[in-house]
Amino acid sequence: MDLWQLLLTLALAGSSDAFSGSEDSSKEPKFTKCRSPERETFSCHWTDAVHRGSKSLGPIQLFYTRRNIQEWTQEWKECPDYVSAGENSCYFNSSFTSIWIPYCIKLTSNGGTVDEKCFSVDEIVQPDPPIALNWTLLNVSLTGIHADIQVRWEAPPNADIQKGWMVLEYELQYKEVNETQWKMMDPILSTSVPVYSLKVDKEYEVRVRSKQRNSGNYGEFSEVLYVTLPQMNQFTCEEDFYFPWLLIIIFGIFGLTVMLFVFLFSKQQRIKMLILPPVPVPKIKGIDPDLLKEGKLEEVNTILAIHDSYKPEFHSDDSWVEFIELDIDEPDEKNEGSDTDRLLSSDHQKSHSNLGVKDGDSGRTSCYEPDILETDFNANDIHEGASEVAQPQRLKGETDLLCLDQKNQNKSPYHDACPATQQPSVIQAEKNKPQPLPTDGAESTHQAAHIQLSNPSSLANIDFYAQVSDITPAGSVVLSPGQKNKAGMSQCDMHLEMVSLCQENFIMDNAYFCEADAKKCIPVAPHIKVESHIEPSFNQEDIYITTESLTTTAGRPGTTEHIPGSEMPVPDYTSIHLVQSPQGLILNATALPLPDKEFLSSCGYVSTDQLNKIMP
Amino acid sequence: AGFLLLLLVSNLLLFVLSHYIHNLSSEMFSEFDKRYTHGRGFITRTINSCHTSSLPTPEDKEQAQQINQKDFLSLIVSILRSWNEPLYHLVTEVRGMQEAPEAILSKAVEIEEQTKRLLEGMELIVSQVHPETKENEIYPVWSGLPSLQMADEESRLSAYYNLLHCLRRDSHKIDNYLKLLKCRIIHNNNC
Repeated sequence: MDLWQLLLTLALAGSSDAFSGSEDSSKEPKFTKCRSPERETFSCHWTDAVHRGSKSLGPIQLFYTRRNIQEWTQEWKECPDYVSAGENSCYFNSSFTSIWIPYCIKLTSNGGTVDEKCFSVDEIVQPDPPIALNWTLLNVSLTGIHADIQVRWEAPPNADIQKGWMVLEYELQYKEVNETQWKMMDPILSTSVPVYSLKVDKEYEVRVRSKQRNSGNYGEFSEVLYVTLPQMNQFTCEEDFYFPWLLIIIFGIFGLTVMLFVFLFSKQQRIKMLILPPVPVPKIKGIDPDLLKEGKLEEVNTILAIHDSYKPEFHSDDSWVEFIELDIDEPDEKNEGSDTDRLLSSDHQKSHSNLGVKDGDSGRTSCYEPDILETDFNANDIHEGASEVAQPQRLKGETDLLCLDQKNQNKSPYHDACPATQQPSVIQAEKNKPQPLPTDGAESTHQAAHIQLSNPSSLANIDFYAQVSDITPAGSVVLSPGQKNKAGMSQCDMHLEMVSLCQENFIMDNAYFCEADAKKCIPVAPHIKVESHIEPSFNQEDIYITTESLTTTAGRPGTTEHIPGSEMPVPDYTSIHLVQSPQGLILNATALPLPDKEFLSSCGYVSTDQLNKIMP
Repeated sequence: AGFLLLLLVSNLLLFVLSHYIHNLSSEMFSEFDKRYTHGRGFITRTINSCHTSSLPTPEDKEQAQQINQKDFLSLIVSILRSWNEPLYHLVTEVRGMQEAPEAILSKAVEIEEQTKRLLEGMELIVSQVHPETKENEIYPVWSGLPSLQMADEESRLSAYYNLLHCLRRDSHKIDNYLKLLKCRIIHNNNC
């Protein structure tokens, strides 16, 4: 057995030798490689024939040919340079190198072609390796384990990049020192590239090779670049040990939560009160909270109605009640000119207005009217006294703007009449000022109607109307006090008759009268005097007609005439026929005597009859 | 020279186009060779000249540096013009082939279209920079259509091989020439 194996092995060895020997002997030189490093020259290499035995081949020659313009000349030329490229090579310098012209070369030995090859130079371009590799640290990861670097290099010096003769692309490879497999990156055209996620504690090898773009092959690799990333111990330390803040926080919160719940659900009321004080619930004196809970609003309303501070809902219907405001404390506003002034476009100044109260719109109720109205009087001095007297009455506990609340209505007629008359009295704000816009008249009528309606039981002599004396720039209506109040409370009783007459006039005749004339109805001696002064300037032609008294208008002129000169039954209101701003208002006239010509200057308004007389 | 600079800078797409066309040509040739002619020695038969070989184009770097700008531009335009017709017939013939290779056909169509665009751009630049250049410069005429239609498959394949080989070469020439011009004029020989 052993002998056979030995013989077999020898036979095989011998045969192999014979084979190799035969190959060697018949081995011919072959082209191994042709290469152009910069596309300007190229060289070809071949294997030297290995001869076994004494037989030697003749000198090996290389012949080349290249196709000239449109001619394929079979003229073979011998290699121009056998030396420069080394043994068994042929070097073609730039003068022999054409790029887009194909070459054919052949190797001959003893006249016989041994090998042949055709190519164009672009196909055999293989650039030199890049040079000057270096790297820089880009950044280190937060954990300190990984790092990024930027690798830079330069193109091989013999490749003419500057003129654009060659365009190179590069391939970078890297690996850890103790690894065997190289990691490859995609080809790039630039000469620098970032390499990401290298481990800090490892050493790396980096190499680059280049190739002509779109043709040829990759050249040789550059020299290996060794990358050693600096160790950063503090980071590693932090990784190994850290104070367990997170655990402490978690357990602390947990413990606090447990304690909190113990307190919350414990029966210890004291501690509970400390931690969670009770929230006050809504409470109204005298009202059972249950009513509020269950929404029994009607009951609540009735309960609350007992309270003084609670106003009945129905008052909200009368918006005018609430919105008529007088403000004593803002004289400036009134001085700047009310609407009536502007209507007249007169420069009538209120310089004569005393008390310093100019604006009666805001902050005041109609009860305070006389203060403002006084300022509008022609003869301020005289009227001041009256207003001052009347004022305290007004100010007396009157919350309702028109002093027309139920409380007042329930009082004695006299008592009520006096304050009541304050409200509806119509007083002309200014001598030459006409009554404000029809809207005011409408308000007045509304007022009158309301008063009459709301106080059915009130005496007829109660003056329910209030003259709108002025409109403040703010838009509030300034009411003048009733005639009664001008006389003062004490005087009401005495002059009840007169007042009643006046009241009738006011209510029935609804005559509009100047403020001065209003005083005529007040049977106050000093006032009457004043009224007599003023009287001439006022005529009864100016009649205000309310909706209520339309039918009674005609019947009243006589009544008015009963009153002596100083006590003319002056109608409170005159409906405004039309507004001729700023010249004045044309009021509807009743069957009253025609006015003098002075009326124009006195009251500032004209009735239609007067107008007709003046302007036929 | 400044005007050419301006035109080249404003037409950087031309450089992209030329590179794109060369890429497509290389791929098309590789696919054709792999499918039809590989290992059959056709490469030795590429001795057949390309129809554009008559043009006095620079064949090495030295010649490329010596040629003047005007001639350089004219040559580029001539090469592009001369490929209009061959590309058209190439597309027609490949489309008419039985079992037309889609990859090759699509690339041929794309090359034809992009070459037209490149030619338009170059003609525009030439007309602006060298208006004295005659509109109808002589360009090499391709006459290889009969060989593409030969009945003999071997001859026909050889004709296609040669045509695609020449296309690859000329597209590479165009791309290289434009790169040289760009580096010379825009970057002042310092790309």
